[in-house]
Amino acid sequence: MKKVLFSILFLTSGLISSDLIGQCDSENFSTACIPKLATGFNFLKSYKVDGEGGAKDKIEYSYVFTKGTQYMINLCTASAAADGVVVSLFDSSRNKVATSKINGQFVSALAYPCNATGIYYIQYTFDNAKAYCAGSALGFKR
Amino acid sequence: MVLLALFLAACGSGTKQDEKAFLNSLDSAKTEGATIDAEVIGSILQSIPSPLEISVLLKESGQKYDYSLLNSADNTSKYNNNYKKALNLGIYGTDLGYTNIYQQNKDGIKYMSAIKSMADGLNIGQFFDIETIGRLANNSRNLDSLLLITTQNFNSINAYLQTQNRSNLSVLLLAGGWVEAMQITCQVASKDKKNQELKDTIGEQKIILENIMLLLSFYKDADENMASLLKDFEELKSAYDKINIVYTYKESTMEIVDGVAMIKDNSTTTIQITDEDVALIQKITDSIRTRIIS
Repeated sequence: MKKVLFSILFLTSGLISSDLIGQCDSENFSTACIPKLATGFNFLKSYKVDGEGGAKDKIEYSYVFTKGTQYMINLCTASAAADGVVVSLFDSSRNKVATSKINGQFVSALAYPCNATGIYYIQYTFDNAKAYCAGSALGFKR
Repeated sequence: MVLLALFLAACGSGTKQDEKAFLNSLDSAKTEGATIDAEVIGSILQSIPSPLEISVLLKESGQKYDYSLLNSADNTSKYNNNYKKALNLGIYGTDLGYTNIYQQNKDGIKYMSAIKSMADGLNIGQFFDIETIGRLANNSRNLDSLLLITTQNFNSINAYLQTQNRSNLSVLLLAGGWVEAMQITCQVASKDKKNQELKDTIGEQKIILENIMLLLSFYKDADENMASLLKDFEELKSAYDKINIVYTYKESTMEIVDGVAMIKDNSTTTIQITDEDVALIQKITDSIRTRIIS
């Protein structure tokens, strides 16, 4: 009887944990990202990046950046590296002005000293990602 | 929703607190009813810059702290409907950011109380832990934590209001905060006429004004207060129509330094704005702000 009970418990917990693994706690990642902004940067926004296990190929937010202000966008994922999550910045005409994948190398932060005021699109994409899940924070300094 | 609220109120215990909450719910029910998807509204709201950026600009450019530029924290009793409370919550939020940046903690504490009072009136007071904020404000070494916690509080309020289908209040909060930041910048610029950076900052606000007007336009048919505010902003927009923001795109360059992608932005914007434009914008902004805070 005990064996049967343990088997049921084991199977149930397995199902629950696999379900949890499948979920993306992007809120948690974005909160964890805030203190990781470099010293001197003031926090502005946190962004959730949930690719829904690959169902979404990009997640996009926008923000008005101001000339003379330096912005930092960082990325937090389950692994130390960016886990295939790429953050790119586009201007209002959709010209790419920054990306966190440079010459095939992924980095988890962008520093962007803005020289042109306008609306910018902060786009998150996945490049051989495992979890399709991340959080991100935006900060600024003058 | 209104019928349901009436039914629940009729069945309720009928305390003064209940009556107040009920009247407030009617007030907010009247102001709902955007003509566009909530996700679109949320996305535009997210894109508007924090007024804190302007306060930092003022301090970094050597401008002195000036308490007289701010709305008095004693004015809270004047704001007795949700429209006024939401707008002035935004105004006081900008004022608090300004006092924080200049580390004027005594004034900051007054604004925290004013904010708490406005937020309680809108049933969003739970987002302000006044004790924690007050404790942080009492020590200048806590500036970073203080700025962080207040920004997070306002972000949480906006997120919460969107989930509660009360984005109209978020729009008002944002509009109030922006008008206050504009008013402070215009006042400072009028005393420092040679400061081109301030003039440019005023000119750049054309982009923000257009976004706020877009947000207000979604509510203009359902809410006469928001329609009236939109009309005020249309007057401001006519002053901004003369201002040109010239954008020149040039491909940026990037390199990795200590694990961070360092971008060199080679694009530029040039703001075409005259002293007369600044004076007119200041005059209109001042009259809008006077209507909001009185």
